[in-house]
Amino acid sequence: MPRRKDEPGFSRRSFLKTVGAGSVAAGVLTRSPGAEAQTVNGVGPGAVPISLNINGQTHRLEIEPRVTLLDALRTRLSLTGVKRVCDRGTCGACTMIVDGKTIYACSTLAIETQGKKIRTVESFTQGTVLHPVQQAFCERDGLMCGFCTPGFVTAAVALLEKTPKPTPEQARRALDGNICRCGTYVRVLEAALNPGGARVRRAALDGSAEGAQLRNGGHRG
Amino acid sequence: MEGTVASWPPPAERALLGKSIKRVDGPDKAQGKAKYTYDIVRPGMLYGRILGSPHARARVKSVDLSAAQSLSGVRAAIVLADPADPGKSAINYQGEEVAAVAATTEEIAEDAIRRIKVEYEVLPPLATVEQAMSPNAPVAFANGNVAKPNLQQDGDVEAALKTAAHIVEGLYSTQVQTHTSLETHGGICEWDGDKLNAWVSTQGVNASRDGVAQALGIPQANVHVVTDYMGGGFGSKLGGDLQVVVAAKLAKAANAPVKVMADRKSEHLVTGNRPSAYAKVRAGADAQGKFVAFDAETWGTGGAGQGSGFPLPYQVYVFPNRRRSHRDVYINAGPQRAFRAPGHPQSCFITEVVVDELADRLRLDPLELRMRNLPEDAPNQQWRKYFPIGAEKIGWSKRHPTGDGTPGPIKRGMGCAANRWGGQGNRQTRASCEILPDGGVTTRIATQDIGTGTRTLVTMITAETMGLPMEGVKAAIGDTSYPFAPGSGGSVTVGSISPAVRVASENARDALFAKVAPVMGVEASTLIAKDGRIQSRTDRSKVMTWKDACKQLGTQPIQADGAFDPALASVGTSGVQFADVEVDIETGVTHVKKIVCVQDCGMIVDKLTAESQCYGGIIMGTGFALFENRILDRNTALMVNPNMEWYLLPGMSDVPEIDVTLIDQDRGVVGLGEPPVISTAAAIANAVANAIGARIRKLPITPDTVLAALEQERAGGTA
Repeated sequence: MPRRKDEPGFSRRSFLKTVGAGSVAAGVLTRSPGAEAQTVNGVGPGAVPISLNINGQTHRLEIEPRVTLLDALRTRLSLTGVKRVCDRGTCGACTMIVDGKTIYACSTLAIETQGKKIRTVESFTQGTVLHPVQQAFCERDGLMCGFCTPGFVTAAVALLEKTPKPTPEQARRALDGNICRCGTYVRVLEAALNPGGARVRRAALDGSAEGAQLRNGGHRG
Repeated sequence: MEGTVASWPPPAERALLGKSIKRVDGPDKAQGKAKYTYDIVRPGMLYGRILGSPHARARVKSVDLSAAQSLSGVRAAIVLADPADPGKSAINYQGEEVAAVAATTEEIAEDAIRRIKVEYEVLPPLATVEQAMSPNAPVAFANGNVAKPNLQQDGDVEAALKTAAHIVEGLYSTQVQTHTSLETHGGICEWDGDKLNAWVSTQGVNASRDGVAQALGIPQANVHVVTDYMGGGFGSKLGGDLQVVVAAKLAKAANAPVKVMADRKSEHLVTGNRPSAYAKVRAGADAQGKFVAFDAETWGTGGAGQGSGFPLPYQVYVFPNRRRSHRDVYINAGPQRAFRAPGHPQSCFITEVVVDELADRLRLDPLELRMRNLPEDAPNQQWRKYFPIGAEKIGWSKRHPTGDGTPGPIKRGMGCAANRWGGQGNRQTRASCEILPDGGVTTRIATQDIGTGTRTLVTMITAETMGLPMEGVKAAIGDTSYPFAPGSGGSVTVGSISPAVRVASENARDALFAKVAPVMGVEASTLIAKDGRIQSRTDRSKVMTWKDACKQLGTQPIQADGAFDPALASVGTSGVQFADVEVDIETGVTHVKKIVCVQDCGMIVDKLTAESQCYGGIIMGTGFALFENRILDRNTALMVNPNMEWYLLPGMSDVPEIDVTLIDQDRGVVGLGEPPVISTAAAIANAVANAIGARIRKLPITPDTVLAALEQERAGGTA
C-alpha cells in the first residue's frame, strides 16, 4: 500500500508493518506449495510485467516486485526529477502524488501503484510555462542546491490543490514531511503561501501569450 | 581605455550587481530537469555498490567474492581491504570499505554485496574520547590514541588571573555533527582507452581530478571531471572521493561505465563530520568588565586518526593573556572532514557562553560586556556597529536578567554571539569569455555551483560587464577543461571567481570595442556597453546594438582570458546573531522564536542568494544547537542513528522567524557561505540560559540537557 504522508494517525511503525507484510506476500508466497492458486499477490521474485499510469501516460515495464516506485521511475523510466535521499520515508525528496495524495515513493512498491494515477514534478509545467508554485520557488529563492526542491514543489502543489489559500500553519504542516539541508525553508514557505503573483497564476493556468513571456527567462528579481 | 584597470562599476551605475537576481538555474531545479550526478545514466552503465565493515575495529582475514561473482547480472567484483596487506586489511571504523561490485541493476548489486563472505578478526573498539584517553584503553592507533598536547601561549595567564575580580571555570563541549548532504558522495566513471571521464558530486572538480588520478596512479591530464549540478557538500566533498575511485576501478574491470553513489548509511559513517570539542576553561575579568585572561585545556575527536582542532578563545573579543593546550583524541569512528566553518561554531559556542557567564558574575548586561571587550573597528570587524543594530531588531531592551521570573513552565530568553571568517579569493583563479559573431556570450570557468548560486553570479558579472540582460549570457562551469578555479570550500568561491570573471569579461568587451570603434568612427576608449547597446560616452549619436556590433566580428569570435585581480576582492567578514527562545522547563523542549542576523561580506554580488546563505547557515546552526548528534554505541562504536529519522535535521516547523540584515560594503567581494552558521548555536545557548536561569555548557540542547542543567542549578548551581 502506498505510504501516504498526510494520513491522519499514520505512524512509522504501522508503515513498517504494512511494507513488511507486502514484501512477504510478493516475495515468498510463490515458493510455498499451492501459492499460485492462493492469491494474485503471489508474483516474483523475478521480473513481472506491470503497468503504471504516470503523468497521464501508461508505461509498461518488466520489474521485480521488490522495486520501489522511486527506483522504477528513476532507473527504468529516466524520470529523475524526484530524488533518492534518505531511502526510508523520512525526507520527502521522492514525494509524488498518487490518486491525489502525496506519498514517499522510496517506500512504496511500484507494483502496488498499478491502476493509480501517479503524478510527478515533471508534470507541473504547462508547455514552457512554469507552474505558479515553481515560479514562486524561483522568484523567492526557495531553492539552493535544488536536490530537495522537486519534492518540496510536489508537496506544495498537492497542498494548494487541496487548500488553495493555506494558513502558514497549514503550509508548515503540509511541508513538514520534507527535509532540506541547505536551509531553504523560510523561502519555501513564502513560495507555498504566495504561488506566483495573481498575474502569473492566471497566465500560467490559461496558457496565454503573457504566460509564455513569463517562462524560464525573466531572471530579474 | 576603460577596463585597463580592473574595477567594479560605481554603485549608481550597476544594473545587476548588488540587486536581488533570481538564479539562472532555478527553473531547471524547480522542474526536476536539472541533472545531478545521481541522475546521470551513461549507455551501458552498471551500478556499483560498496561493502562496508560492520565492525568499528577489526582486521580483514579473508574476502571471498565467488558467490557474488556467480550471481547473474554481476559484471565486476573487487576487494578493497586486501587481507594480505596489513595497511589495507585494518578496519578502523564502521563502514570502512572492504569490497565492491558492479551489476546491471542496483538491486542485483545489493544482492551481490550480501553474498560476499568476509572473515574478520574483531578487535575491541574505542567508542568515546573517555575510553580512548583511559590509561587502560587498548592502543587502537599506531601513534597512540591521544596525540601530544599542542600548547599555545600569549602573555602570563596565571599572573593575570590573580588580578581578576571574577573568574569563571567550567567544562564545555560540542557534539559530532555529520554533513548529511542530500545527494550522497559518488560519481560515474567511464573509460575511453586510458582516459577517464568522471561525473562527480564534488565541491571541487580540480581537486576531484587530482585525487582520483593520484589514487589510480594515472596522469591528471587523463582525468576529466564534470559537475553540472550537485546536491550539497558543506565541506565533505573537497577531495578525490573513494566512491569515485571505486567506480573507476569497477569500470575498468567490467569494461563499462559504472555509477557508485554512497547509500544514506555510509554517508553518515564514512564521508566526514564535524569533530567534537571539549574545553576546560578558566576565564577572568577585572572589576571594570575588561577581560584579563583565557586559559583552556581542550581535546576532541575527529574519528580514526584525524585532528579535531578549533581556535580558542574565539578571536572576536580581546583577551590580553591566553593559554591553550589541545590534544587530538582518536576513536574508531569515521574520519572528520572540513565542515562549514571548520572549528568556528565550536569555538564560538565555548567562548560566547563563557562571556555570558562572566557577565552574570559582573552583573552586567552581556551586550555591554561584549562592547567593552571588542577590538577597534576595521572593514572586516564591525561588531561594534552590528551589535547595536541586532539588539534593536531583537528588542534587547526587553531582555530580563538571567532566569525568566514569570510564572508558568514556558520561559523566554535572549542571547547573542559574534562571528568572523576569512573568505579570501584564490589568486590563481582564471576565467575565459567568448563573444560570438551572433552576439552570444559565454563565460567559462572550472568552478562549481554547490547550491550557493555560482552559476548565477558568473552570469551576472558577465552580463553587467557587457551591458546585457541575464538571458544574453551563458555560464559554463563545473568542468576541468575550463580555466582553473579553486574548490568551493572556505567561502572562497565568490571572492575567487568574481574578479576573474570580471577581468575576462572586460577583456572580451574591450576587444569588441576595439573592433567596432573604427566602424563607429569613435575612439574605443570612449565606448561603453549598456542596455544591450554599445555607445560612445562623448557622442550620444554614436550607438550600435550589441547584435550589430558583434556582426562586425565576421567569422572570428572574441576569446579573452582573465586572471584574478586583488583590487576586485577583499578579505574577512564580521557578523552578529541574536536569538529569542522559549523553553518549557517541564519538558525541557526549546523552541527558537526568532534569530536576528547582521552580516557583511564585502561587496554583495547577488543580494537574493546572499540572503539565502544567511537563512541556510542559521537553520544549519539551529540543527547544531538543538538536534544534530552522531551517537555511537559505547560498547561497539557503531552509529546508532545513521539515517535521517534519528539523526535529526531541522524541519519546516523547527525553523524560527529569521531577520537578515546584510551590510553591503564599499570594498571587494568576500565569501559568505560559512559566517552565518557560526554564531547561531552560541546565541541560542545563551538565550536558553537567560530563559531558564541555568547555564547550558554542552550541545546539542536536547530536552534532557535542559532538564539536567535545571537539576544541577537546583542542586547548587552550575557556576
